[in-house]
Amino acid sequence: MAFSFVDRYTWGYTVTQLRVQLHDFNVVIAPILIQGVLLIFVYILNPALITYALIGALVYSMFQMGQRVQNEAAYIRVDSKLPELYLPGPLTPEGYFVGMSLGILGSNVGTFAVLAGILEWTHPLSALAWLVLAAVLFAVFLFTVSLGYFVSTLFEDDRAIQPYATIITNLFGVLPPVFYPLSLLPTYWGPLALVLPTSAAAALVEAAEGGLVSISSGGIALAAISLTLEALALFLFTLAWARRSARER
Amino acid sequence: MAMAYERPPQVGRILPGFAIIGWRWISRHPAMVIGPVLVPFIFLYFLRLISPPQDFPLQVIGAMLFTTQNIGSWVLGDSATYRLEAYLEELFIASPVTRLQYMIGLSLSNLIAAVPALVVLAIVLALVTPVPWYAWPVLIAVILLLWVLVSAIGMAVSTRIRSRRVVWPVGSLVFTVLGMLSPLYYPLSVLPPAWQTVTRFFPATYAALLVQGTVGVPGTVSSNLWVDAGLLGLFTTVGTAVALSFYQWRDR
Repeated sequence: MAFSFVDRYTWGYTVTQLRVQLHDFNVVIAPILIQGVLLIFVYILNPALITYALIGALVYSMFQMGQRVQNEAAYIRVDSKLPELYLPGPLTPEGYFVGMSLGILGSNVGTFAVLAGILEWTHPLSALAWLVLAAVLFAVFLFTVSLGYFVSTLFEDDRAIQPYATIITNLFGVLPPVFYPLSLLPTYWGPLALVLPTSAAAALVEAAEGGLVSISSGGIALAAISLTLEALALFLFTLAWARRSARER
Repeated sequence: MAMAYERPPQVGRILPGFAIIGWRWISRHPAMVIGPVLVPFIFLYFLRLISPPQDFPLQVIGAMLFTTQNIGSWVLGDSATYRLEAYLEELFIASPVTRLQYMIGLSLSNLIAAVPALVVLAIVLALVTPVPWYAWPVLIAVILLLWVLVSAIGMAVSTRIRSRRVVWPVGSLVFTVLGMLSPLYYPLSVLPPAWQTVTRFFPATYAALLVQGTVGVPGTVSSNLWVDAGLLGLFTTVGTAVALSFYQWRDR
């Protein structure tokens, strides 16, 4: 099955979504509140962990893109019924999904810039760590927007989606070692944390920045392979799912 | 021949009606209960890892108050949905229900979703620290006062919302900021002095100080509990009156 999402229609929809997102300041600012809150918690209660928390805030911010896609896709489909207008046109279903995701990401570039700036100011990362950070953020983006889009298609009631979004973000973003180092977790949970995309991403960046966290080469391989496979598999599945679920209902 | 018609009662059914709505909602969407129960525990686990263990009882109290404060966000969501999506508000306006009854009803239906979390957290609190008997009525009273206030704030904010799309972001903005700027999850004393002053403008600060002081958890700052109780009551009375006056109870 050949997917088609690299064309001018997808780009056009990306720009549309970007404008829609930037039109509403509340929608842009609200998803960055939790990471701000968690950073404040860490700063107040254990300032020694602020570097981990800043790396975690970047990963968590990227994970939040998926929840934004989930809310936006559900709202557009359930409330506005806009897919019925978009999809009979030349925009492909997978282009619709990718365009929405990129537009939402674009509206949040400022968040990443601010967090990266604070991180560089408080703890300058090595070039390798920045490269790893960029790579893992891309993988988390693929994973999270795919998950968000898929979940959004399972609901017919816009109001029922938010509780699930809250559970997903907390299970992936606050519970595992994203805002705190892997070493604070009981040892037996370590492998599970390295398999979860968010904590694997944070651990890989911390491992690349020598001295932040001590992980065996096997652990690094587990985190890297898990994150790559989960991101690619879910993204490909969601491209197919977008096509399959794109019909008038 | 005219049929015998028994006029249904016009009063006394509002709160049970809303209670049924609240129960139906959580029974059909279990995530509505799982979320409120799970999220405070995830936060508590996170805080337990990064903060001194002696702060844990204080954080459990904070989780109870934060859960209560979240009811405001849910009331905001329901109120906006009933008005914008279901057009139910127009039906209530045309009925004998007053805006205060409508607010209390919506708040009650949302309190039901929070009760399991509050009960579990109360059990945890009793397990992690000795709680004097007189602290329980204080805790319940504080939760009820906060519940009324945040519900009124939720209703007032919802009346300004014009699109379902911004319900969640606006709710998060208002109630997350209100909750996190107040010393719910950490002792007031660890905050910088300027921030401590700012927290005095938030009602949840007095709720937290009152419960922390009554239970006597470690890390509590010395505070006059009667003054805290008075200020919480004042915030609730004035805040609810102002919020309700903002709420537009008419056909639009």
